[in-house]
Amino acid sequence: MKPMDERNRKGAWALLPWAIPCTFLFSWCMVSAAGLVPRYLLPDPLHIAGTGYSYIFGTPEAGPYAGRFLNDAGASLLRVGCGFALAVAIGLPLGILSGRLWVFQRLMGTTVNALRAVPGITWLPLALVWFGIGMKTTVFLVALAAFFPIFLNAAAGARQVNPLLLQAGAMMGVRRLRGTFAILLPGAMPNLMTGLRLGLGISWAYLVLGELTGVPNGLGAVIMDARMLGRIDMIVVGIIVIAIIGRVSDQLLQSGMKFCFKSAGRMA
Amino acid sequence: MTPRLKAVPLRRSGVKEKILHIDRLSKGFHTANGYVSVLDNVRFQAEGGELIAILGRSGCGKSTLLKIVGGFIPPGSGKVLLNGSPVRSPGPDRCVIFQEDALFPWLTVQENIAFGLRGQKQDKRSKAHQVERFLGLVGLSEFRDYLPRALSGGMKQRVALARVLILQPQVLLMDEPFASLDAQSREEMQNLLLSLWQELGHTILFVTHDVSEAVILADRILLMDKSPGRIREEIGLNLLRPRERESGALLDFSRRLHQALRD
Repeated sequence: MKPMDERNRKGAWALLPWAIPCTFLFSWCMVSAAGLVPRYLLPDPLHIAGTGYSYIFGTPEAGPYAGRFLNDAGASLLRVGCGFALAVAIGLPLGILSGRLWVFQRLMGTTVNALRAVPGITWLPLALVWFGIGMKTTVFLVALAAFFPIFLNAAAGARQVNPLLLQAGAMMGVRRLRGTFAILLPGAMPNLMTGLRLGLGISWAYLVLGELTGVPNGLGAVIMDARMLGRIDMIVVGIIVIAIIGRVSDQLLQSGMKFCFKSAGRMA
Repeated sequence: MTPRLKAVPLRRSGVKEKILHIDRLSKGFHTANGYVSVLDNVRFQAEGGELIAILGRSGCGKSTLLKIVGGFIPPGSGKVLLNGSPVRSPGPDRCVIFQEDALFPWLTVQENIAFGLRGQKQDKRSKAHQVERFLGLVGLSEFRDYLPRALSGGMKQRVALARVLILQPQVLLMDEPFASLDAQSREEMQNLLLSLWQELGHTILFVTHDVSEAVILADRILLMDKSPGRIREEIGLNLLRPRERESGALLDFSRRLHQALRD
C-alpha cells in the first residue's frame, strides 16, 4: 500500500474531502430553489452567504450582527484557549502519573471515573452560582470537559509504553527524569495526541454551552441571541463558523505537535 | 581525528583478568503452584574479552541469569560482581541486546544509535564522529535516515548492536538475539558480531539454544540444566578463528553438545 502522504498529494484525491460538503450544499440549493422548505425554517445558501459576509466584514446597512465576527471569534478563542490549556496542564501530568504509578492510579481512578459519569451540562448551574455569567464559567466548563479525554488517554498511553524501551533506556544510562521526557512521553505520543484532539473537540462543544447563558459576546452567544431574534440565517452562520474554526484548530494542533515533537510526526 | 575510546583490556595479551564474577547465584519465583527454583547455585567467571555462550533448552533459566547480570532483576541469593563491585541496577557498562525489537520507533537509525550519547559530556563533533563510525561498522550508513519500522529484522538487530556498542560497554549481554531471524541473516549477524568483537574487545555473554550458533561463536560454552537451572558442564573451545562452519572439529563438538542436551 502507498503511504498516506503520497496519496494526499495526488491531484484528484485532494478533492475527496470536499465531496460531502459540496454534495450537501448542492442539494440544499436544489431544495431551496424548489421551495420545498419554508425560508423561515431554512434560508437558502445565498442568503446565508450574505449574512456570513456581513457578519465577518461588516456592511454599510449594518444589521445587529454586522462586523462582529472578529470580536466574537476572539472572545471564544480566548475562552477555549484558557480552558483547554488548563485541562492540558492538569490532565496530562496527572494522567501520566496515574498510568505509571500504581499509587496514583489507585488514588485517582475512582474519583475521576465517578466525576466522568456526571454529564458536563450538570455543572452549569453550579458554575453560574460560583463564577457568574461569562469568562470564568465558560473556562471552567471547557477545562472540566476537556480534562477527561486528556487524562484517560495519557494514562492509557503511559501504561502501554513498551517496557522493553524503558529497560533499554535504563541500561543506556538514562535516569528517571530524562527517561520520562526522552522515552515515556514519545512512546505514549499516539495516545497523547488522541487525548488532546478529543479534548480540543469537546472544548468547542462546552464553549457554546458556557456562552448560551447570556454572555454579551462569543460565537455561542451570537447563536443564542439570533434564536431570540428569529434570525435562522445567523444561527446557521454561527454553526458553520464554529465547524470551520473547530476543524482548523484541530489541524493546527496536529501540525503544531508534529512540528515540536518528532514522535508525533513519526508514529501517527 | 579518532574517537576517544575507553581503555578496554586487550584480549590474548598475556595475563587474562577475570572481570565478571557470578558467585553462587540462585533465584526462584513464587507462583500459584508454590515456589519454583529457576537458578540454583550458578557460578562462573568471565575474562575480559571472552565470548561465553550459555547453552540450554528453553525454560532453563538462561534468560533470567542474563537479566540478573544486566541488573534488571535482583538475585535471590549470591551475587554478581563486575570489576569487584556488585551489580545493583542496569547501566551502560553491561548492555543488553534483547531478543525482540527494542529500538525507539520514533527515532531514525542514526538517532537511535546516538541516543545513549545524549547525556554524555562530549562535544557535538566527536559524538557525530562516533555515530558515523558505528553506522559504518554495522553497515547501515545508507539507511541512517530510515525509521525502524522500515527495516528488516536483521537490520534492526544491527542498529541495536551499534546503539549499545557506541557506549563502550565492558560486557555485552545477548539474549537469543538472532533467534527470530532467517538462517541466512543469522549467519551474517554471527559473522558481524565476531568481527565487531574482534575489533572492540568487549566481553560477551551470549544466551542461545542453538548448538551450531554456540559452537561457531564461543570461546567457552556453559551447558545449562533445566529445573532448577544449573551449569552442568563447561566446555572450552580452543579452535582457531575464523572457524569453518562445516569443519570436522566443529561438527564433533556439535554432536557432543546435541547428545548432552538430549540427556
